[in-house]
Amino acid sequence: MTRFAVPTGIIAFCGLAFWLSTQFDKVPPILLRGMQPADFPQMVLILIIVLSVCVALFDQPIEHGRIPTTVWVSLALFAVFALSAQLDLFLGLGIFACALAWAWGERRGWALTTVAVVSPAMVFFLFDQVFNIRFPRGLLTNLWYG
Amino acid sequence: MEPLIAGLTALMDPNLLVLLFAATLGGVIIGALPGLNATTGAALLLPFTITMEPIPAIAILTTIYCAATFAGAITAILINTPGTSASATTCLDGFPLAQRGEAGRALGMATISSTVGGIISVVCLMLAAPLMARMAYNFAPPEYFALTVFGISMLATIGDGTPLKNIIAGAFGVFLATVGKDLLTTVERFTFGFNELSEGIGFVPVMIGIFGISELLVQAERLSVERRQVIMKAIKLPSREDYARVWKTVLRSSGIGTFIGILPAEGATVASMIGYNEARRWSKKPEEFGKGSIEGIAGAEAANNSATGGAMVPTLALGIPGSPTAAVILAGLMVHGLQPGPTMFTEQATFAYAIFWSMLLVNVMFIFVGLFGAKIFARVTFVPVQILWPIVFTFSIVGAYALDQSMLDVYIAVGSGVIGYFMRRFGYSVVPLAIGLILGGMLEKRLGQSLIMLDDQWWLMFTRPLTLLFFVLTFLALFGPFFWRRLFQQRDPMVSTGE
Repeated sequence: MTRFAVPTGIIAFCGLAFWLSTQFDKVPPILLRGMQPADFPQMVLILIIVLSVCVALFDQPIEHGRIPTTVWVSLALFAVFALSAQLDLFLGLGIFACALAWAWGERRGWALTTVAVVSPAMVFFLFDQVFNIRFPRGLLTNLWYG
Repeated sequence: MEPLIAGLTALMDPNLLVLLFAATLGGVIIGALPGLNATTGAALLLPFTITMEPIPAIAILTTIYCAATFAGAITAILINTPGTSASATTCLDGFPLAQRGEAGRALGMATISSTVGGIISVVCLMLAAPLMARMAYNFAPPEYFALTVFGISMLATIGDGTPLKNIIAGAFGVFLATVGKDLLTTVERFTFGFNELSEGIGFVPVMIGIFGISELLVQAERLSVERRQVIMKAIKLPSREDYARVWKTVLRSSGIGTFIGILPAEGATVASMIGYNEARRWSKKPEEFGKGSIEGIAGAEAANNSATGGAMVPTLALGIPGSPTAAVILAGLMVHGLQPGPTMFTEQATFAYAIFWSMLLVNVMFIFVGLFGAKIFARVTFVPVQILWPIVFTFSIVGAYALDQSMLDVYIAVGSGVIGYFMRRFGYSVVPLAIGLILGGMLEKRLGQSLIMLDDQWWLMFTRPLTLLFFVLTFLALFGPFFWRRLFQQRDPMVSTGE
């Protein structure tokens, strides 16, 4: 199925991107030197479309096994991270790390604490104190920033 | 001579030396950790270097590159799991030797071969890079454009995808590079109203995503993999007979590795395979290969380590990455505002030579790390993935955020990770994407400049000898393997019938 599905998906994406590129502002011909802004991306997109057709027609199909449940769970946790990071980046990281370790079979308390609390806290203080990086304000970071 | 000494002097800062030793240890640990390799390690550590001066920052990245490439051999020999893909061939003879109770001899040979290969390649780098840069000094935009096209065409043969899929992945990277303001007209493209995208998609979040986060998903597929370590007693170094037997192999593989490394986009993995095959072809005892041949280890390790120095030649001299990790280092150079290319050896010569010296130094450090720390570093492999990868994710996300302090970069990193996972799953290597993203901006800029220079008569590019040469090389890189296969099929009917 993926023999045609993946190239079709790529072609659909390129088609959409090509349409978007037609909406770019154009430089008046009298001022133009070289290419219009849309020309180069359009050339690249056409190349990808042509090559994707070749893949669909000529490439040897590969047998793909089913994606394991752990991968789907990990992907779902990315979504959880993206949402919880809206409240606080490090809260999101802690929740994600703890949930991922749990989903992958880790049950030891010290290990879960390490990945969920100790490592995000260490990384936060390393970047904040040593590299002077200012993180976005949130529920937890406000405790430090005041 | 003056920049050579100035570079060495710049490196002789005690703090920097301590930092480089720590980076060597870090690189070895990265190379030994399951799923991490030199490219991922360099991508993850790149954000840590942003507040540093250029010399220590890039020296750390190159040290990680060399050390992680070497460290793959430790796990390959002791637990039959190559820490990096470049060490896959080392498993073939290293593990059988370890099973026979000769792990120390195998590790010793891997260490010495890696060191010799690394040193030879760095010496070649010191000689070849300035020469190549001098040659490129007179390149005009059409020559640079053709050279970049050639660099991208070499993507066809790298990674684990088919040539067609590799080129698609590379072209996708070039497409991503078009996001943001057009350099010549300043028209915004594919920014969707995000101001952060005006300057384009950052290299760092994408690299962290496709190398680090996608690997997390790959590791999720392999949670049940068990690793067993062979028992290693005291390290017994290779004997004088061993050295007498392998010195030619080491020299040959070092030459092969350096040459493969210099070719744009080809890296240590290809070098180790060719180095191993050539070692077997020239060996007086080819029957021992695959069963514990000391020459096999020497051939593979000298080649993969010498490719690191070779890969830095086009990276520094032309701005074309010689390997996936060199692409990350190139991104690091750009983040620090350094422009690789001919001017690097005139305007930033001290920097360039300091990097060469640091690579030389790290190759010497291997001897101590490899011979005395191998037993400890092999244990690193047993860190449970359930603990390792959540921590790697934390580092990845904070690293992606740190460069521009933008949450959009965090989401780009996660998105790139998901895209990278599905690319890998469907046979599209992520390495061409990374290299395409780096070279894409340069490609478009050079094409635009060429068209202005040639008054929109693009066909005039083919009248310039060097440009034509690069286009011919591009054609050969893309279609050469196909013609060779057809030729062999015609000459050897056994091949065509598949018997």
